Amino acid sequence: MSTAPMTRPNPIDARDLRRRNLRMGLILASVAATFMVGFMVRIIWFS
Amino acid sequence: MSAVLDHGGHAHDDHAHDHPHGWRRWVYATNHKDIGTLYLLFSFTMLLIGGVLALGIRAELFQPGLQFVNPELFNQLTTMHGIIMVFGAIMPAFVGMANWMIPLQIGASDMAFARMNNFSFWLMIPAALLLVSSFFMPGGAPAAGWTLYAPLTLQMGPSMDAGIFAMHILGASSIMGSINIVVTILNMRAPGMTLMKMPMFVWTWLITAYLLIAVIPVLAGAITMTLTDRHFGTSFFNPAGGGDPIMYQHIFWFFGHPEVYIMILPAFGIVSQIVPAFARKPLFGYHSMVYATASIAILSFIVWAHHMFATGMPVTGQLFFMYATMLISVPTGVKVFNWVATMWKGSMTFETPMLWAVGFIFVFTMGGFTGLICSMAPIDTQIQDTYYVVAHFHYVLVAGSLYALYAGVYYWAPKWSGVMIPEWKGKIHFWGSLITFNVTFFPMHFLGLAGMPRRYADYPMQFADFNMVASIGAFGFGLMQVFFLFVVLIPMMRGKGEPAPQKPWEGAEGLEWEVPSPAPFHTYETPPKLDATATRVIG
Repeated sequence: MSTAPMTRPNPIDARDLRRRNLRMGLILASVAATFMVGFMVRIIWFS
Repeated sequence: MSAVLDHGGHAHDDHAHDHPHGWRRWVYATNHKDIGTLYLLFSFTMLLIGGVLALGIRAELFQPGLQFVNPELFNQLTTMHGIIMVFGAIMPAFVGMANWMIPLQIGASDMAFARMNNFSFWLMIPAALLLVSSFFMPGGAPAAGWTLYAPLTLQMGPSMDAGIFAMHILGASSIMGSINIVVTILNMRAPGMTLMKMPMFVWTWLITAYLLIAVIPVLAGAITMTLTDRHFGTSFFNPAGGGDPIMYQHIFWFFGHPEVYIMILPAFGIVSQIVPAFARKPLFGYHSMVYATASIAILSFIVWAHHMFATGMPVTGQLFFMYATMLISVPTGVKVFNWVATMWKGSMTFETPMLWAVGFIFVFTMGGFTGLICSMAPIDTQIQDTYYVVAHFHYVLVAGSLYALYAGVYYWAPKWSGVMIPEWKGKIHFWGSLITFNVTFFPMHFLGLAGMPRRYADYPMQFADFNMVASIGAFGFGLMQVFFLFVVLIPMMRGKGEPAPQKPWEGAEGLEWEVPSPAPFHTYETPPKLDATATRVIG
């Protein structure tokens, strides 16, 4: 199991990096979810 | 010896107990290298399963008449061959390569979401089991084509539900994998590894991951609507209830065409790494390569209906999709030009990875040209759903994606396994595959031009000769992959062979060659200091 500290370009602590990763991951996941749900809603209501 | 060796190699060679062993290492794997290995082994297994289905198809088509399978089973074979190869073999293989190589190439310690990475992989196993077991369900496996067209999907037995469920799971896995890749690349690069210094494999995967996040949800939506049509009384695609099957085709291909590029862009990335290494020159036109990759990705969203020229769309629509499709040949041409220009006046040698890469460029370009022919609406009307199209997409998916994958395997295997693959093995595998591939698929152009349709278990006498040649080639191609399994892969995994040096290829550049071979369990735990080109560790 990887317990290695994570790295990134700027000097930044691991907790902050996890927070940044999580934020970006959630944004991308919500984009994906919006595409799926939005697309179905569009077809149901506007076709 | 690099600083990485001092940090990573030394510390962890001495502390080999810092990671689980036995089955726990794999089931609970959060290490990007272990998960990459799992993905690669899984995808090769699926390649063999999909290959067996393909040989079932070719055995039946060896001669006219029905020899081995009935038409229903034949349709199941073609459908499952397509689904397994696309979603089970090619895509996971590239994800496996991404897992192994992206953190190493950008100087990161691991993927951003290590546990989600584990989940992404292990989701694939139940999906694969669902797909394979669907052959034993009442009515047999799904037989609506890999595109799962309505209304065929609405008329099938319970295996269709298993297929839809499997696709949902695979889609979820892909989305999680893509999010992981995007976040890893954007947040975890080593200091000095700016975007425009990233290796091309990382660039192509970044763009591919965005494509996946954009289009997999569309597929998920479409098959969810298929599911509600089947079980909950809706009629999105069911003409009996006022639905529109053509709408399904539009939605599917809005996913399906970017999917084609999802399967080829990482291949471009691998070839863009290998050609400079064996031409001993920097990649010609790095920036234009990046922009060409992005252009291909953007254009892939506006060409989907070229798969549907025969559905009776307006001429203006045909013209738009025809010209948009032809436009893609511009950035693709830029890439081929850049690879050739990289080789121009280079000190070239032809070790196995380079052979696969050059083979890729040659044969993929042939597939690209037939794609250009298919893109022209008046011609496509003639060759739609014929073997010409089968030949075209196998030239870009087998000679494209699969060849690039093999190129990547032979290129990076010393780093993965710590042993060199003997050149004679790789060369037999390459030349055997190249010849048998062309024996299989080149005659299909003639069959298609003569009018032989896809997805039929039988055909008139006039197509017999070329089909016989194609079937012989297919069994030869299958044999070469079995050769790869027993003569190349298994001995390599058992560690047999000459020990690999840290950088086995003289002209190779990049951070993956700054760690020992095999790569230690943990690498780049602390951010490496890079030189100005971001290809060397300096402290």
